[in-house]
Amino acid sequence: MDIKRIGNRFLAGTALAAAALVPLTAAQAQTVRVTVAEYSSLTGPYFEEAAAAFEAANPGTEIQIEVIPWNVLLQTLTTDISGGVNADLSIIGTRWLLDFVEQDIAQPLDDYMDQAFVDRFIPTFLTPSVMDGQTFGLPVAASARAMYYNRDLLEQAGFDGPPETWAELAEAAAAISALGDDIYGYGIQGNEVETDVYFYYAFWSHGGSLIDEDGTSGLDSQAAYQAAALYRDLIDGGATQPGVTSYTREDVQNLFKQGRVGMMITAPFLSTQIRAEAPDLDYGVAAIPAGPDGARGTYGVTDSIIMFANTDVADTAWAFLDLLFTQEWRSTFTGGEGFLPVNAAVAQEPSFAEDPDLAVFASVLPDARFAPVIAGWEEIADITSSALQRIYLGQGEIEETLNEAAAEIDGILN
Amino acid sequence: MTRSVFTNPYLLILPGFLLTAFIIVWPLIQLGILSTSDLNRFGVIRGPAGWENFAAVFADPDFIASAWRTLFWTVAIVVGSLVISIPVAIILSEDFYGRGLARVIIMLPWSVSLTMTAIVWRWALNGESGMLNSALTGLGLIDDNIQWLAQASTAFPVQVMIGILVTIPFTTTIFLGGLSSIPEDLYEAARLEGASRWQIFREITLPLIRPFINIAIVMNTIYVFNSFPIIWAMTQGGPANSTDILVTYLYKQGFLFGKLGEAAALSLIMFAVLLAFTIVYVRLAMRRESP
Repeated sequence: MDIKRIGNRFLAGTALAAAALVPLTAAQAQTVRVTVAEYSSLTGPYFEEAAAAFEAANPGTEIQIEVIPWNVLLQTLTTDISGGVNADLSIIGTRWLLDFVEQDIAQPLDDYMDQAFVDRFIPTFLTPSVMDGQTFGLPVAASARAMYYNRDLLEQAGFDGPPETWAELAEAAAAISALGDDIYGYGIQGNEVETDVYFYYAFWSHGGSLIDEDGTSGLDSQAAYQAAALYRDLIDGGATQPGVTSYTREDVQNLFKQGRVGMMITAPFLSTQIRAEAPDLDYGVAAIPAGPDGARGTYGVTDSIIMFANTDVADTAWAFLDLLFTQEWRSTFTGGEGFLPVNAAVAQEPSFAEDPDLAVFASVLPDARFAPVIAGWEEIADITSSALQRIYLGQGEIEETLNEAAAEIDGILN
Repeated sequence: MTRSVFTNPYLLILPGFLLTAFIIVWPLIQLGILSTSDLNRFGVIRGPAGWENFAAVFADPDFIASAWRTLFWTVAIVVGSLVISIPVAIILSEDFYGRGLARVIIMLPWSVSLTMTAIVWRWALNGESGMLNSALTGLGLIDDNIQWLAQASTAFPVQVMIGILVTIPFTTTIFLGGLSSIPEDLYEAARLEGASRWQIFREITLPLIRPFINIAIVMNTIYVFNSFPIIWAMTQGGPANSTDILVTYLYKQGFLFGKLGEAAALSLIMFAVLLAFTIVYVRLAMRRESP
């Protein structure tokens, strides 16, 4: 990091020397550095194109795009920030936003936003970036989760439509698994990022909440015990793929694309992948099943683009944000990456409004819960995932393991 | 006779020392400062913390478990690669038809990056579509697919095995160098005296390559102790931290959970362990060599 700092000083020196040589008219040349997360191979080219369009419309400005793979984004940002060489704008997971706000790293954007700008967004997606009445980020990517099901497999197993409740899902999963050795009813993710989330789907449906009203972890509740028992029964009964603790979300999605898993819960980008990789797969999308009392829950996720508090080019950076959040540019991005529209106008476009898969995702949004705004959320997610893996492997009793995890999480919450 | 100031040995090693200091000593000082400070999520110092970061590291049961696993990981790979590399090097140092090709094949794993090797193995070990399971099924050795990476009892031994595999080329290279330094007439004399192959190995080869074995042990221990890619690319230390070694645990603490103070403390602890091992081992080995 410090070599970077030295390098930056060197660069700054060179830039100064260069600036002294060029005529005064170019002296207002402004460079905005933007760190973006790589969602797919389309992300980099998209932002480069937007940068080029902005530079063409605003002579004398330069937008530098740095594309960082998702799984090292937080590490890169941490290193850059601690070395004082962070960019001016960056995409971050909204669940990290509190850390950025508490340490005065992100700056509020409200001074730049008028009502017309706010109205461009679907409120559900803008709210998670608002803290203490101030907007610290703009939702650049949004998704929710719903259940994908394989129509062929459900029909072969004797079911007309997707299960409405978890009890029906368990029944259908067992029936589908009985169809063949290589076919599994319900795909469960048990490895790597979002292992905990895959459990929350069932947990929320059973009436659970991640943080109880008294501010402690909700993992030591009946809802958690029931949801964990449901998953473990599915695993022990052979209604899931074997060895769930080695399956990441992508691994389960691959099984689904191969037509070997009857049902799984994931984000809208699976539709985009199926269109490209398995166009003949006969699948449908439905809401996540309801619990015994009819409760439902899905996971809403947004990524935000933030402006760093230490930027020198706030006005130009904002102008670039303004461009990114126009209907035209949002439409290209959202369609290409397979996210849900965050712009109200984009959501009205036929390619989104008439897409049957996206319609389901839009309909489950009222039940969407976002990751709680807590410092240290990543560690809590890791503790939860580890506890679940022990349960899935049969290495721990459900209540005991979840109570231990809850106690550990309470230690972080306090 | 007066010495020119330019042949003063201290002056001559000064450039090398400065470079080393810049690369090694200075980060160590930084780590020392960070590990005794109260840091925020992004590594900005808020105040002194004394030994709190160190205490927090030692209080974490996952740290203790990772430390034991690291010991097993290091010893198993260093010893395993040693045991395999010595005979391999002896065979490769003999003259036979196709030796050049055999040497290339042994060295190949070295030319592939560790991460790539680990990712290829991750595919091969995939429970449903992995090559290993389909090969074993094809051979009739197993009926049901084994989910290799789903639990530590299968995942960790496989990771150790891959660790040994990728350590063999380097170790073999060291021994090939060692073997070529043994004069051929020693073997000739031994054969004339009627020594068996085992006796030749015990009495001539082994004592003469002992310095090379020591080098291999020290260098491999340092590399393997700090080896990150194999475990990270295959299991990320999971499931439930059951394949974490210290360096993957360190990465999680620092970059996933943002506990940079504890991560700095842990780095210093790991550095101290390796330094202590190297000093103790080198002194022991040297004492044995020069009675």
